[in-house]
Amino acid sequence: MNNTIIRFENVTKSYDDGTVVLKNINFELERGKFYTLLGPSGCGKTTILRIIAGFTDASTGDVFFNGKRMNDVPANERQVNTVFQDYALFPHLNVFENVAFGLRIKKVKETEINDRVQEALKFVNLAGYGNREISEMSGGQRQRVAIARAIVNDPEVILLDEPLSALDLKLRTEMQYELRELQQRLGKTFIFVTHDQEEALAMSDEIFVLSNGEIKQSGTPVDIYDEPINRFVADFIGESNIVDGLMIEDYKVRFAGKEFECVDGGMKPNEKIDVVIRPEDLEITTPENGKLIVTVDTQLFRGVHYELSTYDQDGNEWLVHSLKKADVGAEIGLDFDPEAIHVMRLNETEADFDKRLEAYGDEDYE
Amino acid sequence: MKKLSAMSKMYLIFVFAVLYAPIFYLIFYSFNSGGSMNNFESFTLEHYAAVFEDSRLIIILLNTVLVALLSGLIATIIGTLGAIGIVSIKDKKMRNTLLSLNNVLIVSPDVVIGASFLILFTMIGVKLGFASVLVSHVAFSVPIVVLMVLPKLLEMNTSLIDAARDLGATKRDVLMRVILPYISPGIFAGFFMALTYSLDDFAVTFFVTGNGFSTLSVEIYSMARAGISLTINAISGLVFAVTVLIVIGYYFINKRSKSVATGGHR
Ligand SMILES: Nc1ncnc2c1ncn2[C@@H]1O[C@H](COP(=O)(O)OP(=O)(O)O)[C@@H](O)[C@H]1O
Ligand SMILES: [Mg+2]
Repeated sequence: MNNTIIRFENVTKSYDDGTVVLKNINFELERGKFYTLLGPSGCGKTTILRIIAGFTDASTGDVFFNGKRMNDVPANERQVNTVFQDYALFPHLNVFENVAFGLRIKKVKETEINDRVQEALKFVNLAGYGNREISEMSGGQRQRVAIARAIVNDPEVILLDEPLSALDLKLRTEMQYELRELQQRLGKTFIFVTHDQEEALAMSDEIFVLSNGEIKQSGTPVDIYDEPINRFVADFIGESNIVDGLMIEDYKVRFAGKEFECVDGGMKPNEKIDVVIRPEDLEITTPENGKLIVTVDTQLFRGVHYELSTYDQDGNEWLVHSLKKADVGAEIGLDFDPEAIHVMRLNETEADFDKRLEAYGDEDYE
Repeated sequence: MKKLSAMSKMYLIFVFAVLYAPIFYLIFYSFNSGGSMNNFESFTLEHYAAVFEDSRLIIILLNTVLVALLSGLIATIIGTLGAIGIVSIKDKKMRNTLLSLNNVLIVSPDVVIGASFLILFTMIGVKLGFASVLVSHVAFSVPIVVLMVLPKLLEMNTSLIDAARDLGATKRDVLMRVILPYISPGIFAGFFMALTYSLDDFAVTFFVTGNGFSTLSVEIYSMARAGISLTINAISGLVFAVTVLIVIGYYFINKRSKSVATGGHR
């Protein structure tokens, strides 16, 4: 059976005033997975959701749903339900009627409406709240009403537009777990939009990193975190040290004035590249044992680890996450494995990037 | 709110006294058994009885109420749909032009509206009477309804419409189940405003009425010209009482819809 549920083919979106919001978006989404569209605000995430839901038309390109083109299917006939960023609950209806809205439109029998709404409310831990007015619900509860209103219709796909952004940190973390669990229980396709990279890493089966209306990279959270395709993605996903470098030959890279052994290859000899090393992959040691020699500039205690900001002789900043303390102003050595070095070519397309990774595979990575 | 100072309290009392004194003076003498407003002889209801015995007056009263209710209803429907139409216009310039045209109608003097309707009706050969009065009342009430409904529509989050569409609602469902319930306080307010405007309209009606059809304000005017009679006072007293009732009714409807909107019954 074909497992693809939604497919975008060369979708673009531009407005009358000439602003191009989406440039050639292509992707395929499989049934039953948790997808995240991740990107800074204004990059076009909501626009993609609105095109899937049918509130906005794509300017060019095709949108397929279960293999059928659905560009011209109106929003009310699509097998998709949305949890809106501002929840968009109906203020003139109580919780029960909000959830029942879709079923009433479809003229479902009264007893069935009652059963299904109660079940949906139970699903989101709001059993017994049916008679409350929306104004009597807290932010977290409203968000769950919005989710119940979407799932009660039993859609194949649920779209969630930054549903957690209005919640405080504690509630947000709690809801991340709940949402992920809910998705696994329901087995539905979730398309989740966020600008919060931690949220995306924690929840998704697959992430699409967007910037300026383009998908920069897609993959599992681990792939994207470990092997960002370029400076933007590396910078956006997690904290990273990014420095200019030179690829001497396969498996040999030069940066910070020294040559290092690495596991990447497939570039031209002496090609200019970007080097990424995650702060947690750097280990503090004595200057004699260090591959890099740096001076500690500042040190912050972050609860689990210390966050050190250090500088090498060339003036490159190196962030270090260390369990050990260091002395501010002291000279220390930094040690790291060849696997910790991730090399990124400038302006490499995602297809080329994937091909190169496969060829110069990271057998020793997994 | 800060407590009002003694001076501002005095001022408020003075202003309201000046505004309401003539009305209460008039109503007070409607109970006078003496035939004039000069000296109060003794309490009587005979002027009120006279109003109710005068079948012509009763018919006029019914006419007035009928015109008010009908024109209010029609204007509410037209005005509400009009407001929805105006809001849905994407072109900003067009939208503002329409709004300005609407506001011009509200501020333009009744005399101008009345005269222009008179010219229109005679030009196209409509007989002056009930129909002409009704049409002109609808006409001056529509802009008022638009003005009352518009803020509610603008306040409504457009994502509510997206949400309804998302849940399978057709355009009709969206209108009936989301937009209309949401803006209903504005619709009620518009209806009551239209009602009161129609009830107390004199100038426009004066121009376009004819064929023995008359409304209360026009009738009172002609009675007052013919000479003082305390029957006028009695009618005015009745109209005032009805107005107060409408205001109270409006207050309660407004309060109820507000408590629904904010979930008042905790
Ligand atoms: N109606 C519109 N006309 C012109 N530009 C628009 C319109 N709607 C959205 N945009 C622009 O499209 C871009 C992407 O918007 P959006 O998809 O909402 O971003 P995101 O959800 O990623 O923050 C923004 O730069 C926004 O200004
Ligand atoms: Mg958005």
